[in-house]
Amino acid sequence: MGVFSRALVLGACVMAPLSLSAGTAAAESLTGEQIVATKCGVCHQKDTSGVIPRIDEGRRTPEGWDMTVVRMMRNNGVDLTPEERTTVVHYLADTRGLSIAETEGYRYILEKRPVAEDVGPTQEFTEMCSRCHSFARVGMQRRTKDDWRRLVNFHLGQFPTAEYQALARDRDWWGIASTDMVDQLAEMFPLGERPMKVDPAPLSGEWRLAGHWPGHGDYEGAMTATPAEGGDLTLSMTLSVAGKAPVTFAGTARVFGAGEWRASLSGDGGSIRQVLARSGDGSGLTGRWFMVDDDVVGAPLAAVKVGSGPALLAVSPAYLKPGETTRITLSGTDLSGDPDLGAGVDAKVVEASAGTVVLDVTAATDAAVGPRDVSLGGASLPGSLVVYDALDRVAVEPAVTFARVGGNGGPIPKVPAQFEAIGYLNGPDGEPGTEDDIRVGAMDAAWRSENFDETAAVMKDATFAGAISAMGLFTPNGAGPNPERVKGTNNTGNLSIVATVADGGETLEGTGQLYVTVQRFVDWPIR
Amino acid sequence: MKHLKPANDKARQLIEAAKDGKEDEVVAMTTLVGCTTSFDPGWEVDAFGGVAALCQPMEADLYGCSDPCWWPAQVADTLNTYPDWSADAPAAHEDWRNLQSVFPKDKG
Repeated sequence: MGVFSRALVLGACVMAPLSLSAGTAAAESLTGEQIVATKCGVCHQKDTSGVIPRIDEGRRTPEGWDMTVVRMMRNNGVDLTPEERTTVVHYLADTRGLSIAETEGYRYILEKRPVAEDVGPTQEFTEMCSRCHSFARVGMQRRTKDDWRRLVNFHLGQFPTAEYQALARDRDWWGIASTDMVDQLAEMFPLGERPMKVDPAPLSGEWRLAGHWPGHGDYEGAMTATPAEGGDLTLSMTLSVAGKAPVTFAGTARVFGAGEWRASLSGDGGSIRQVLARSGDGSGLTGRWFMVDDDVVGAPLAAVKVGSGPALLAVSPAYLKPGETTRITLSGTDLSGDPDLGAGVDAKVVEASAGTVVLDVTAATDAAVGPRDVSLGGASLPGSLVVYDALDRVAVEPAVTFARVGGNGGPIPKVPAQFEAIGYLNGPDGEPGTEDDIRVGAMDAAWRSENFDETAAVMKDATFAGAISAMGLFTPNGAGPNPERVKGTNNTGNLSIVATVADGGETLEGTGQLYVTVQRFVDWPIR
Repeated sequence: MKHLKPANDKARQLIEAAKDGKEDEVVAMTTLVGCTTSFDPGWEVDAFGGVAALCQPMEADLYGCSDPCWWPAQVADTLNTYPDWSADAPAAHEDWRNLQSVFPKDKG
C-alpha cells in the first residue's frame, strides 16, 4: 500500500512533499524553520491568525517530536534527508518543547529505565491508553483540545484494532474516547506556554558525576564539555568503578529547549547515550546513560558543575557494621573541611581533593543502627550512610521484570535483564515490607535461575530460556522457533531468579521473577 | 461461561484463572513499562501470568497479529503503518530473520 492509498484512510494531504524531494545541496542546508515552512508547510499552512495547524497546537519532548517527524516521513510521504530530520526535530524541540518540570514523573520512559512502573492516573486512562503504550507517552505531550481530539481520531484511523484493545466489546469506547477522554486530556495537559530555550554555553566546563551501575557497583567520574559548532558541546568523560580500570568516552551533547541534554559518546565501554535534564540554575544534570544497542545496560547519573559551590554527590560504599573500619569515598565538587558522619562513627581523612575525599571510617560497637547524614565542610548528603549489624532480608531488584529473546542470526538483539540483591533491615516495627524498612544497599550475591512454577517445569523453561551471570545479568537464548521444544516453542520462560547473600554467619536468599518473552518489532524512542 | 466446557488445557487454565481471581493479578503486574497489558493471549505475557499460553512459536501466528494491527505498539502492523514489513518473509516460521524492528535510528 502506497502513501496515496493510505491517504484515503487518513483523509490526509500527502501530495506535495513528493515534489520537494530534490535532495540537493541547497535542500540539505535548510534551517529547521525553513523545513517547517516549506516541507511541512505544504500541508500545514499558516492560517490567517499566523498559527501553523497541528505544529503550533502541540508541545513535546525531543523524542516526541522525532516520533511525529518519522511518522510524517513514513506514512505521509514527507521526504526529508537524515540531516533534515535531525535539524527539524532540533528546531521543533527548541521552540515547542516542555519545561523540565512538565516532564517530571515521566522521565523514566526517556531514560529507558528497564523496570519503571507506568500507571495511568485513573483506571480509565490505563484502559484507554496504556494497554498498548506507556502513559508517560501521553503525559509528556501538551495539546489544544482540538488537537487531542484529532489524536483520538488518528488512533482509530491508523490502528483500528485499538477499539478492541480498549475494551470496545464491553462499552461505548468511541463515545468515551472522543468526548470524556478528550475533555480530561485537554484539562490535564493543555497547550500552555512554550518554555524559554536555555543557552547551552554555560553548560560547558568541568563536571563531577556519580551513580550506581547495577551489576557493577558505585561509580564516580568526570566530564569536560567544550563549546562546539551550532551550540553543541564536545564531551570527554571518564567513569570509575571502585577496584576496576576507568573507562573513557568521547562524544557530543546537544541541549534542546528548556534543558533536555542528549549526548552520544563512544569509547572503551562501547557506544552510550546520555539522557539528562538540566537543573534549574544550570549547575546540575540528572538522568541516566545506557548502551545504545542495549539500553537495559546503563546507570542513573547525577552531575554537578565544578565551581558551583560545595556539593556531595555520592558516598561509597554506603554501609558499614558497628565495630568495623571501612574505606569510604566521598564524591562531589569543591569539597573541603572536616567530615561529620554522626555520633559513634569516626572518619579519618586518607586522601583529599576538591572532587574526591577518601576516608577510613570506623563505627563504634554501640553506633546507632540506621541511615545517617554525611557532611563535609558546607556539603551534606542526607541519609547517605547506613550502619547495620545484620541484614533482616534480601530483596531481588527488580522484583518482576522481563527479558526478550533475540539474535540467533536475526536483526533484533537480545534484551537481557539485570538483577541486584538489595539488603534490607525491617526497621523499628520489625515487620518486613513496611514503610519503615531500611534499604542498606546492593550486596554481593550468588545467582541462579529456576522454573517459576509447575507449568514452567513441564516446559523446562530454566533449561531453554537463558542463563544468569555472576554479576546478576540474565542473558536470554536465541530467537526463533526452537525445534527441541514442544511445537517449536520459542526460548521463552517464566523463571525465578534467586540471590544468595552471605551476611556474617547467616545465609539469606531473595527471589525475583523474570519473564523471558518474545522480541518487540516496534521500538519507538518513547515506548 | 457456565454453559461452556473447556475443551483443551488453555481453556481449562482460563476457567481456573477466572475462578481464582488471578486475572486481576496479571493486570497489576503489567504496569511494567514496555509491556502491553492486552491479554488475548498477550504479546509478552499470557492471561495467566506466565508465558506457556502465548501463541507458540510466536512466528506461527505472527501475521495474525501484524495483518489486523493487533498489538500495534509491539508488532509492526501491515494494515496501515508498515505495509511492506513482512515482504521479505513470506513464511515467518522460516524467514523470521528478515523481520526488522521498524523505528529508524537517528544520526545521534
